[in-house]
Amino acid sequence: MSKQINVALIGNPNTGKTSVFNALTGLNQKVGNYPGITVEKKEGVCKLPRGVKAHIIDLPGTYSLNASSLDENVVIELLLNKNDKDFPDLAVVVSDVENLKRNLLLYTQIKDLEIPTILVINMADRMAYKGISLDLEYLETHLKTKIALVSTRKNQGIDKLKNLISNYKDLSISHCIDLSEIDPAYFKNLQSAFPNQLIYKLWLVITQDVNFGKTDRNEIDAVANFKTKSKNDLKRLQQKETIKRYQFINDVLKKGQTIDVANAKDLRMRLDRVITHKIWGYAIFFIILLTIFQAIYDWSSVPMDFIDTTFAAFSEWTKNQLPNGAFTNLLTEGIIPGLGGIVIFIPQIAFLFLFISVLEESGYMSRVVFLMDRLMRRFGLSGKSIVPLISGTACAIPAIMATRNIENWKERLITILVTPFITCSARLPVYLIIISLVIPEGRFIGLSYQALTLMFLYLLGFGTAVLSAYILNKVLKIKSKTFFVVEMPNYKLPLLKNVALTVLEKTKSFVFGAGKIILAISIILWFLASFGPGENFNNAEEITKKAYSTENLTSEELQQKIASHKLEHSFIGIIGQAIEPAISPLGYDWKIGIAIISSFAAREVFVGTLATIYSVGNDDEDTIKNRMAGEVNPILGGPLFNFASGISLLLFYAFAMQCMSTLAVVKRETNTWKWPVLQLIIMSVFAYIVALIAFQLLK
Amino acid sequence: MNTIIQNILVVIAIILALGFFIKKLFLKNQKSKKECGGGDNCGCH
Ligand SMILES: Nc1nc2c(ncn2[C@@H]2O[C@H](COP(=O)(O)OP(=O)(O)O)[C@@H](O)[C@H]2O)c(=O)[nH]1
Ligand SMILES: [Mg+2]
Repeated sequence: MSKQINVALIGNPNTGKTSVFNALTGLNQKVGNYPGITVEKKEGVCKLPRGVKAHIIDLPGTYSLNASSLDENVVIELLLNKNDKDFPDLAVVVSDVENLKRNLLLYTQIKDLEIPTILVINMADRMAYKGISLDLEYLETHLKTKIALVSTRKNQGIDKLKNLISNYKDLSISHCIDLSEIDPAYFKNLQSAFPNQLIYKLWLVITQDVNFGKTDRNEIDAVANFKTKSKNDLKRLQQKETIKRYQFINDVLKKGQTIDVANAKDLRMRLDRVITHKIWGYAIFFIILLTIFQAIYDWSSVPMDFIDTTFAAFSEWTKNQLPNGAFTNLLTEGIIPGLGGIVIFIPQIAFLFLFISVLEESGYMSRVVFLMDRLMRRFGLSGKSIVPLISGTACAIPAIMATRNIENWKERLITILVTPFITCSARLPVYLIIISLVIPEGRFIGLSYQALTLMFLYLLGFGTAVLSAYILNKVLKIKSKTFFVVEMPNYKLPLLKNVALTVLEKTKSFVFGAGKIILAISIILWFLASFGPGENFNNAEEITKKAYSTENLTSEELQQKIASHKLEHSFIGIIGQAIEPAISPLGYDWKIGIAIISSFAAREVFVGTLATIYSVGNDDEDTIKNRMAGEVNPILGGPLFNFASGISLLLFYAFAMQCMSTLAVVKRETNTWKWPVLQLIIMSVFAYIVALIAFQLLK
Repeated sequence: MNTIIQNILVVIAIILALGFFIKKLFLKNQKSKKECGGGDNCGCH
């Protein structure tokens, strides 16, 4: 009968665990969550020779078994709990050939738990380039394990690894170091108090603040009381332990690994010096951002115009092909303009993610993290907050989830609270259309005003986030300790495949995620705008004719009047006018009000909504932009979207917390309604006030 | 296509759209408890 081996993949972040996991399991994998917390859990199945199957877990990245984050707690809890159904029969420690020294610390700790362990040395393809050579036999003997030299990129060594996994019973479980040497008397005492327990396990329980709720409780609780040493003494012992481990690793690597330094490093070090420079670093980052926004504008204007006119023409064509009727109207006034309102943003979104993923893949983003740490500290954030803040440009939801690797709770909470200020991809369509309506097209030293405005809005979001972090840092009274470990991967030429996949995936999730909602909303809106209750709607024609009977209107003008009368008394007109008093001080009419309300489901609905509302009853099929440009402000006269109302709307969208899903995620990550509710109230009030001031000053 | 068919199609479209929202709200609540792994598709939009 086939039996299943439980295998845990363990290793520092970025050593390629997930890549190894993918190589082993292929498509046989699923992603879930650890119960009760939001750490991602990846598991899969790998078929081994002789019908054996391995159940493989990709554990979160861990620097050591000294827990400092939620992710690391997960690893420790699993390794200490023999009763967990996932408790590994075999640990596969994944290390990166370029960072062996640091990676092996965790390895020696796992060995001390007496779990059979295989060492994977990944990224073998980098060895020649870096001038690294390894004496595998020597390393296997001294590290007391079997080693698989792997390159997931070149697909090498995976078969050997599978073989080692299926023969895991042959692995030695002896320790690499003797822990008790750091204080023989103390450890002797400890061992004799708990003769059946592993000494390293006891030591972990004593020194770590992990929740050991799941481990064999009785014994462990007793250990926790066994604190015959003061806190300071324990700290000192821990330091000694770490030093001892590194001494061991150094000794082993001295013989087992040779690095031809002349071969390597130089370029990287020189580049790093410039890129993380106190002044140049920021200047370079700023220039890169400028280039990105300029490119987003210049490169996508052609495809966008093409899409806009195509949809308008398509709508016109459909109207001519189909017989008159309600469904034809639904298609040409509801569905097609609604869809056009989403497709049009594909070019810009694709370009934004193209740049972000190139920066990430090339290794530049990690330098930005490092660079920003200096700056972010002052605002109560961590350098690591830059990753959520940058992913926030896609969507606040994954960004808020990405805060999990910030070790310090206060910094994490602050990052969660300020991330929604970052301009997410759902705000982008709103910004783009309004900018194109109210910002003139000229250029300033080669940069278009419109691109500069967009960049300003991104900076505004970022600045507000950082400023609120500063305030929160002063206001919140939470004590927690600070760590900062940052990974500096090598500069790499971005893999075209990875970049293409990211762009494709983000664009797809934008189009399909938002597309479905927009389609549904445009159908409903069309209905609400095309029908209405009572006399005023149903007899619109007569009423309007009567009202204008004295004036000499062409039949076209009359049709226009009838249509707007109908819209005003349709269901949506009634709802819109009910809220108009609240928003007219901001320079909006009730149609914008409807768009704002419907965009609480998803911000990107805004443009589609306006497109639908404006095209209902409108005979000449025009582009979305032209239609919006033609709207007239009912109270003040003049174009509805002018500089004042445009800026006011931009600011409103920049600050308002207008996304149900984000609120839900904040609740989940903070485990209370307190934070999301505060966020909603404060951000909305702030947005309203700023938009109000802006409009009143500019009008 | 005559008027009746057009009207029927409209009613179907509206029912589908409403159904989609009801399903979306309903499913979302379930999903966020269970297997939201942190992908971009999760809960967003
Ligand atoms: N050169 C090289 N890069 C690799 C290899 N395996 C993974 N990587 C890269 O290392 C980075 C981190 O990989 P990942 O699997 O996400 O690491 P994890 O954080 O440990 O799960 C990614 O950019 C991979 O493309 C390899 O064998 N060779
Ligand atoms: Mg991973």
